[in-house]
Amino acid sequence: MNADWPVADLDPVRRMGVLAAGIPGSLFAVDVLDAPFDRVWAVAADLERELPKLVRDIRSMRIVRADGEVLVADAVGRLGLRDRFDVVLRPGWCVMQSTRVIGGMAAVADGAGTRFAFLGALRMPGVRLADPLLRRLARPVGRGMFRRLRDEVQQR
Amino acid sequence: MPDPDHVGLVRAAQRGDALAMQELLGLLTPYVGRLCGPIALSDGPDATQEALISIFRNLRQLSEPAAVFGWARAIAVREAVRVARSARRTVPAELADVPAAGDPQLATDVRDVLDRLAPEHRAVLVLRDLEGLDERTVGDLLRVPAGTVKSRLFRARRSFRKAWER
Repeated sequence: MNADWPVADLDPVRRMGVLAAGIPGSLFAVDVLDAPFDRVWAVAADLERELPKLVRDIRSMRIVRADGEVLVADAVGRLGLRDRFDVVLRPGWCVMQSTRVIGGMAAVADGAGTRFAFLGALRMPGVRLADPLLRRLARPVGRGMFRRLRDEVQQR
Repeated sequence: MPDPDHVGLVRAAQRGDALAMQELLGLLTPYVGRLCGPIALSDGPDATQEALISIFRNLRQLSEPAAVFGWARAIAVREAVRVARSARRTVPAELADVPAAGDPQLATDVRDVLDRLAPEHRAVLVLRDLEGLDERTVGDLLRVPAGTVKSRLFRARRSFRKAWER
């Protein structure tokens, strides 16, 4: 009988919203793109090629280890700072973390389009205090990332 | 090393490790969804999201990481009842008004019978029948006396089973 009880599910974008709520000072932005999921995620999941185009602070990204959906990637920032990221990447879901930074992307089909979420956060003491300010920054930062994501999807 | 109670994972998530948090989220989402679905019905995804947000915002307050599922269960049921009550579009029938077997109005699926119960009664059914908790624990979770749980359960389950077995 238990098999027939209704079960509620959360799509990856809503799950990413939960993760953002649990990370103090995180930037979280959601938008709908006018392109099918497969095309959008093909861009998002191509971390080495696309992430430096989407995220302005990243100059380059290189996958150094891959074991199923678990990856390790080395990033070089605009100012030359190097960061090693542990990454979980699967269709519609990507979370990455270095000692300094947390990033996330999630996507789900939404009709003929795709609902997409970006998450970003700094891992530093006191970030909790800056939470209201950082959350206000989410809109302009998100707008820029979505503009670049749309451009990249269109070019594919 | 096996970690059946997910203690190491919960501790890492409590320290703000985002990869541990996303893994814990992957474990808790189906569990919370199974609890919120039958209580909040069409508002199940909203209830699940609200419950998980509350769980992850308050994760640092969990003093016993091994008890994470029981702790999450209490939050999930509370949030599901709250969301279902605030989003209630129609006033559910009193339990006595739930149609008896043989009533042509009676639908045969579980969902339809749940729809006719108040969120609080659905919560009793879920905790007792789906989670297998005893009446005292259910009463503690829902903050009602065990006697109330017992009478709600008796009537709700009778309506439920009649419909199910029809």
